[in-house]
Amino acid sequence: MQRRSFLRGLGLVAAASAVVTPSIVMAAEAPKGQNAMSIDAAVAAITGGKSVVVSPKVHLKAPEIAENGAVVPVTVEVDSPMTDDDYIKAIHIFATKNSNVRCADVMLTPANGAAMFASRVKLGTSQDVMALVETSKGEFLSASQNVKVTIGGCG
Amino acid sequence: MEKRKSLIKIKPKKYGVGEVVKVNFMVMHPMDTGMRKDKKTGKLIPAHYINEVKFLFNDKPITTMTTWESLSTNPVFTINFKVPGEGELKVIFKDNQGEVNEKSIKIKPKG
Repeated sequence: MQRRSFLRGLGLVAAASAVVTPSIVMAAEAPKGQNAMSIDAAVAAITGGKSVVVSPKVHLKAPEIAENGAVVPVTVEVDSPMTDDDYIKAIHIFATKNSNVRCADVMLTPANGAAMFASRVKLGTSQDVMALVETSKGEFLSASQNVKVTIGGCG
Repeated sequence: MEKRKSLIKIKPKKYGVGEVVKVNFMVMHPMDTGMRKDKKTGKLIPAHYINEVKFLFNDKPITTMTTWESLSTNPVFTINFKVPGEGELKVIFKDNQGEVNEKSIKIKPKG
């Protein structure tokens, strides 16, 4: 009888630890949530509910297949005269399936001469890379491209 | 304050006034996301990434960036810049652990 209750106790402990472990792991990975943001929330925070137009003026260059997700070169170019009354105000780059979708918010001025931004991003899995462009007239333009990642870059 | 290795490159090397050049800014930075574990100790490496980059020409801002941990390790930032004349191009970058560094280059247009 004692043996049975002992085993039962053991089983309970095992079950309890099995339940508890994932929550501990989650707690340890809490910093993940620190900057985590969904793509919809991130876009809405910038546009403030205004409509976003997919535009051929925005040229997003990224490799179709990235062997290493840790270093994916991304270039965004926008056709704009970049004069004092008509220029590109900001370029935002998003990786739509990363924990924190925001990569960079670039605020430009007419002193740039041409609207371009290039950098290298980390991509966790295969996903869309998106560029959101704000013009000085308050319009929002976007472009996106799918990037297939063979080896993830996060973790 | 830890000094970060960084480099500014202007392409092309020779340029005149009014020309649009590419400014290539590279910095050695771990850009830790806070999600990766140290292989030896098994502990999480705290997030450590550049969150602000400012490009200034003669102390006048040209481009301001807010960046996040999704950028790669040792990131590269490339922007365009229309050369208005002689001066100093300065890049100030900050990270989320409070480090502030800066790097500058002289702009000398020819012809």
